[in-house]
Amino acid sequence: MHCRSRILASKIDPHLTPSAGGHINCVRNHKERFCTKVWTKQEKKSTMSNNDNESDVEYSETEECGYDDYYNPCNDADNETMNQKKCDPEHFEFECLTVDQVDRLLNELVETLSSRLRLTPSLSKLLLHAHNWALDSVIRMYLEDSSQLLVQSKLKPEKPPVVKTLSKTLVCPICIMMLPKDVFCGIGCSHLFCKGCWNTYLETQVMHGVSTATECMGCSVMATEDFVLPLLATPQLKERYVRHAFSDYVRSHPELRFCPGPNCNIIIRAKENKSKRIVCNSCKTTFCFRCGSDYHAPTDCETIRHWLTKCADDSETANYISAHTKVCPKCQICIEKNGGCNHMQCYGCKHDFCWMCLGDWKTHGSEYYRCSRYEENPNVANESSHARAKEALKKYLHYFERWENHAKSLRLEEQTLQRIRERIQCKVMTGTDGTWIDWQCLLDAAALLARCRYTLQYTYPYAYYMDAGPRKELFEYQQAQLEAEIENLSWKVERAETTDRGDLGIQMDVCEKRRTTLLQDFLES
Amino acid sequence: MAGLPRRIIKETQRLMAEPVPGISAVPDEQNARYFHVVVAGPEGSPFEGGVFKLELFLPEEYPMSAPKVRFMTKIYHPNIDKLGRICLDILKDKWSPALQIRTVLLSIQALLSAPNPDDPLANDVAELWKVNEAEAIRNAREWTRTYAMGNI
Repeated sequence: MHCRSRILASKIDPHLTPSAGGHINCVRNHKERFCTKVWTKQEKKSTMSNNDNESDVEYSETEECGYDDYYNPCNDADNETMNQKKCDPEHFEFECLTVDQVDRLLNELVETLSSRLRLTPSLSKLLLHAHNWALDSVIRMYLEDSSQLLVQSKLKPEKPPVVKTLSKTLVCPICIMMLPKDVFCGIGCSHLFCKGCWNTYLETQVMHGVSTATECMGCSVMATEDFVLPLLATPQLKERYVRHAFSDYVRSHPELRFCPGPNCNIIIRAKENKSKRIVCNSCKTTFCFRCGSDYHAPTDCETIRHWLTKCADDSETANYISAHTKVCPKCQICIEKNGGCNHMQCYGCKHDFCWMCLGDWKTHGSEYYRCSRYEENPNVANESSHARAKEALKKYLHYFERWENHAKSLRLEEQTLQRIRERIQCKVMTGTDGTWIDWQCLLDAAALLARCRYTLQYTYPYAYYMDAGPRKELFEYQQAQLEAEIENLSWKVERAETTDRGDLGIQMDVCEKRRTTLLQDFLES
Repeated sequence: MAGLPRRIIKETQRLMAEPVPGISAVPDEQNARYFHVVVAGPEGSPFEGGVFKLELFLPEEYPMSAPKVRFMTKIYHPNIDKLGRICLDILKDKWSPALQIRTVLLSIQALLSAPNPDDPLANDVAELWKVNEAEAIRNAREWTRTYAMGNI
């Protein structure tokens, strides 16, 4: 399988397949670092103005002026905070609760139910657990037909238990021992077993992590904690049962989710079960409330799962093909990118080009940024199945490469931050260019950059699974806009030589607006 | 073996006194927890006429955990793999201490009569069973003739 994909891939673009070891060595010798050249302010300005000259003047004007009205319709200072909720497509109300708080929350529900319906708390607990803690509907169903509800929830046997014998001894069907009647017990169905067998059975269940789902040994009636706990021999077993049961309750409650952070005991509570961003206030893990995996807006839970599985299946091939290196489109020198934005300048021939499409960088200044867009081959339907397979692989690699590129940039974020910190230190120590406080905005910009890159990374699986059409065009247009703005921001962050906060601030604002606009339009509501 | 639980002794006695029709289960002379089992292919199934050898072992935790059962004779069946392992719910998560060796063997006999290709263990067999049942049944007959006749 791998071999076949590899051949297909190398037919698509032989340049991407590093075939000779010499090339790889080349990377070490000629490590072209796009950050090698130190740009002075003047140079930077002249480059910028060059780009401006080429670009449409009207375009930049609408950017500066039209933005606030269009993208920020609720900018009224009075109700800004109130409207923020409506404007921010990522806004999601949730609270981080401790185990005790959740315990109290669940117990309140249990108490309400048990006092309303005069049931034991342990039975109420299992009843609520079986019906996802929907208190009102449980009460309604119970009042309609209590017996049917209990049978359905496997808390009561279908037929009333038969009391068999009047003799003083019974034979336990598990250990086949004849024992006095008073050592026998059961869950309320007709199955009676001796306490010794119950002990061993329940211990086995608890050791296997089974708690709320513990059934009778003879049928499927559920055991309540009132029945289980006294039959567990040691405090350790009891504690284990309670812990497992608590996890089960949290999992069955639609408003609750455990923080997936390692060793984090926080439980998140949110009213709506949506795929929105949660940041745990204790361990700072960011995740999706609905599926618990890494936050993935604008892609939905289902799609991202498909994508990640696909990547896991195909990544070896794709990795091999992109193989971390590309050749300079002008002098063919082999280049490894180890950070920074997509504007590359070749160490050897000084050629400026885009890392993504390997096209001349100059073409990226005007119009809009095109290299996040995948051009569908219109003749694909007429071609053979072999060509279609080739096309499918090419399409996948297109999106995968961009996805992986942003992921890589994000992984390098810690290094970037370190570099920024060192630069700030250096600037402040020499004492010419502002104070430590003046430079803090750079760190904010870096954080924003990371946030934008993250969203952008997750736009590629979304685009991959999108059907061609005007909506996809709009999406890819917005994606390209965001790409372009991020590149600008990345450029500015890496090269900030003065505390020109205005310039940086505008760029940050533009980036964040682009990101929110994209999410506003495409994040499922 | 010292300290053999009363439960195992009673079950063994009953298996010998009232054997299940079409099944024989005899404890090993050295190890009372190890049973030599022979199951006759059920009538009307592609395994009819075949005699299948199985091994059954009662682990230390029995009856709290399920007996371990495995086909020794090769068999063409969607829920039994080439090592003879059986995909049967009561041998896994649906085990209950109230079940017995007898009930397990009856279930295995029933599985031979009614293969379940929707919950497969041997994927290739299950696939064929779903796509072309007639051919799968022919294969099963063929295997029964080759491996399960005249070998005991």
